[in-house]
Amino acid sequence: MDDFFFSLVLAGISVGSVYALIALGLNLTFWTTRTLNFGQGSLMMLCAVLTVFLSSQGLAMMLAVIGSLLVVAALGMFVERFAIRPALAAGGGSMGWVVSTLGFGIVLQGVAAKYFGSQAMAFPEVLFTAQDYVTVFGQHVSLQYLVVLALSVSLILLLELFVRKTVWGQAVHAVSHDPELALVQGIPVRLIVLGSFIASSLLAGVAGILSAQIGGTVDPAFGFDLVLLGFVAGVLGGMGTSLGALAGGLAVGLISKLVGGYISTAAEHAIAFALLMAMLALRPQGLLGRPEVSKA
Amino acid sequence: MSGRRLRGALSRLVAHPAFFLALVATLLVGCRWLSGGTVQILTFVLIAVIFAQSINLLTGLAGQISLGHAGFFGIGAYCSGILAKAHGVDVALSVPAAALLAAVAGWLLSFPAGRVRDVYLAMMTLGFGMIFYEIVREWNDVTGGTMGFPGVPSAALRTLSILGLPVDGVTYFQIVLLVTALVLVLMRNLTQSRIGRALFAIHVSEVAAGSIGIPAGATKQLAYTLSGALAGLAGALYAHLVGYLGPESFALPRSIEVLVISIVGGLGSIAGQVLSATLFTFLPERLQVFAEYQFIAYGIILTFSLVVLPKGIAGLLLEPPRFIKPRALKRTAVFGPDPSVLQREAGGGSLEVEAVTMRFGGLVALDEVSLRVEPGRITALVGPNGSGKSTLVNVVCGLYRPSAGRIAFEGRDVTGLSDHRIALARIVRTFQDPRLVPHFTVRENLLLGAHRLLRHSGVAAALALPSALEEEARQLAAVEAVLALTDLTAVADRTVSTLPYGTRRMAEVGRALLAQPRAILLDEPAAGLSEAEMERLAQVIRDMKAMGLAILLIDHHMDFLAELVDDVVVLDSGRVIYRGDISGMRRDPGVIAAYLGDEAVHAHA
Repeated sequence: MDDFFFSLVLAGISVGSVYALIALGLNLTFWTTRTLNFGQGSLMMLCAVLTVFLSSQGLAMMLAVIGSLLVVAALGMFVERFAIRPALAAGGGSMGWVVSTLGFGIVLQGVAAKYFGSQAMAFPEVLFTAQDYVTVFGQHVSLQYLVVLALSVSLILLLELFVRKTVWGQAVHAVSHDPELALVQGIPVRLIVLGSFIASSLLAGVAGILSAQIGGTVDPAFGFDLVLLGFVAGVLGGMGTSLGALAGGLAVGLISKLVGGYISTAAEHAIAFALLMAMLALRPQGLLGRPEVSKA
Repeated sequence: MSGRRLRGALSRLVAHPAFFLALVATLLVGCRWLSGGTVQILTFVLIAVIFAQSINLLTGLAGQISLGHAGFFGIGAYCSGILAKAHGVDVALSVPAAALLAAVAGWLLSFPAGRVRDVYLAMMTLGFGMIFYEIVREWNDVTGGTMGFPGVPSAALRTLSILGLPVDGVTYFQIVLLVTALVLVLMRNLTQSRIGRALFAIHVSEVAAGSIGIPAGATKQLAYTLSGALAGLAGALYAHLVGYLGPESFALPRSIEVLVISIVGGLGSIAGQVLSATLFTFLPERLQVFAEYQFIAYGIILTFSLVVLPKGIAGLLLEPPRFIKPRALKRTAVFGPDPSVLQREAGGGSLEVEAVTMRFGGLVALDEVSLRVEPGRITALVGPNGSGKSTLVNVVCGLYRPSAGRIAFEGRDVTGLSDHRIALARIVRTFQDPRLVPHFTVRENLLLGAHRLLRHSGVAAALALPSALEEEARQLAAVEAVLALTDLTAVADRTVSTLPYGTRRMAEVGRALLAQPRAILLDEPAAGLSEAEMERLAQVIRDMKAMGLAILLIDHHMDFLAELVDDVVVLDSGRVIYRGDISGMRRDPGVIAAYLGDEAVHAHA
């Protein structure tokens, strides 16, 4: 196994795990409301940009990260309250909330570009430096990649455990199955929906910081492609399944890095989008998902 | 009140051909006295108008969201630009070629896109736009990559000639103006034709559209193709205005911009699109503040517009558009009602369901169900909730493919045909919940029922040829007769969403009749009706019987059924437990246990 291939695989797994994290964030709101926040990418971007900004103001790194996550969580509440809920109440299918959350993302992106400039800014090295590595099977393995991978995978497993084993997790399932029935049974649906948006935004924030860490820079436009890739991961594995998100994320990461390495870096994203279209057309329920049986 | 009157007056003005002609003529002549800069901005306005119509057609009419329309715009721009610059093709040819290529792209996209909806469709179209952008950026040899593609023959650079004649900014504006006017007229004709109504029908409910013979797949393909063509046309005209093409002009922000224009203008309204395109092209030019915060403003508008102003500017200023050509209506007035649609037709055969089984995963919803509905007879299908009645209707009408068994109509095997083909075989149904187009009037909804009988081509409809209008008028005469039969004449011009439930139900039955069925399946048509409405419905069903239709009637209301039906079939847990007449059913111990027993208990409680 040559070094080049190995480094591509490692990079692929590492970014793939971030894609999985993004997909998981999308899943959360998909469970509770059948909606996705198209502004998710802007939340990722904002969290990373704010972290840079706060730490540049002399705040300790950990505090900067926590502060940014709090802002993003608050914005998640805002999205639920002002973009999702009115659009769902107004009816008219998915058009309303796709457009409103997309608009919200654009506002965030525009504001960030206004205040922080549209230039890429360097992201501080929170977890080791890009040069730190350990040696595995005689190969250099970047510590950053390993930490990102470990963080993503453990977050995904924790969330899966939470949903499967706790009362709140069961409540999330109940809401996703039938919100009205859940409400009648005394489950605080509103709270769970709101919680799902907060958690989803937090995941986006974490994913934003992690991908900024791997990439080294952030700019106002950086979240958009990433969230699309996260969606590709989600669709590939089957929207709504956590393990599907993980598998899908790793697959997208690997495929795009290998294509980028051996064919052309330009094709890296295009191939992922092509994968998305093919997957949606051929098997919309994903590789691990089951087709929905709907009553006409 | 005065607000409403103002809107009425404004709507009549905007819709008046003289106003349209005067506006076009004024611009055509007046542009000579405007500054070069203003003429150029006006040309951008016209291009935005055409582009917005492309979204209006796909999203506003057909209900298919697109977040990647910059892709079609770009295909048009690069195609015409490359043909004209690198291959020396005349612009009079390269622009139509570009529109055609974008139409083909739209047609191709419709196949994967037709398989998904909602959020998946949004993502897929987004993906389409991104792929186009990546290709343009990387295909250096053809598109110039990130460096862009300069030197396209352009009016602004005075390098444009069409058919050998040099074209300056003003002349180009005049040409684009005429093209735009043509597009608007064609769009208006299409909206007020069988094509436009079919697009709205699949927008509201693909299942309901299928039930009256409108194929969802083919209709969507048409919408994507036409929308692609319009976007491509706009892109090509753009290319020969600016003279330079770079990938950034065709990235996501352009898709967003056209969506903003279309939504703010009011999806579904042609005039609204024109107003909005004008507004959003002039604002950044004239208002520095807006230009600076343009992207943020777009975001805010997208976030709140559909909630605050769901029908856009058009909803504010104008009355909602109508979907039948006034000229066709006038012609109908001369004919008067045509009751031939309600006359008894000779011949006809029975609808036969033979040992049909329907399984969903492990659940057996129908277990070897057999029944026969004879022409000129009313067969009731009764059974407790969940016994499989609606499933049977769905299987017969092609929504589900049966796991086993056979369905035949008039001696022909129709098992597994898709829903619109079943309607073409003249089996038509109504739904438990009326599925009409809510913003159509009763008359428009009824005319939708006659969709399969309107045979004129899309071109004839777009050009509003006399033959097309003639055919519409003839079906409208049939609509008059059905309106009279169903007692809906008084509310014919009211939009369905403003009418009470019972009236909507009757309208749905009327729509089914307009499809000229030979078999009709009525799924709980009496549910929620008042005593008087039920009386009326019973009369209409008797009329259908007299017309020789094979009628399958699902209902729970025993007194309603007792007066009407000839035969009864009782389902329980997906199995037929009784077959015979209604008095026999009332005595049948199995039925009493499964169904009436239950009801009797409730009745005495």
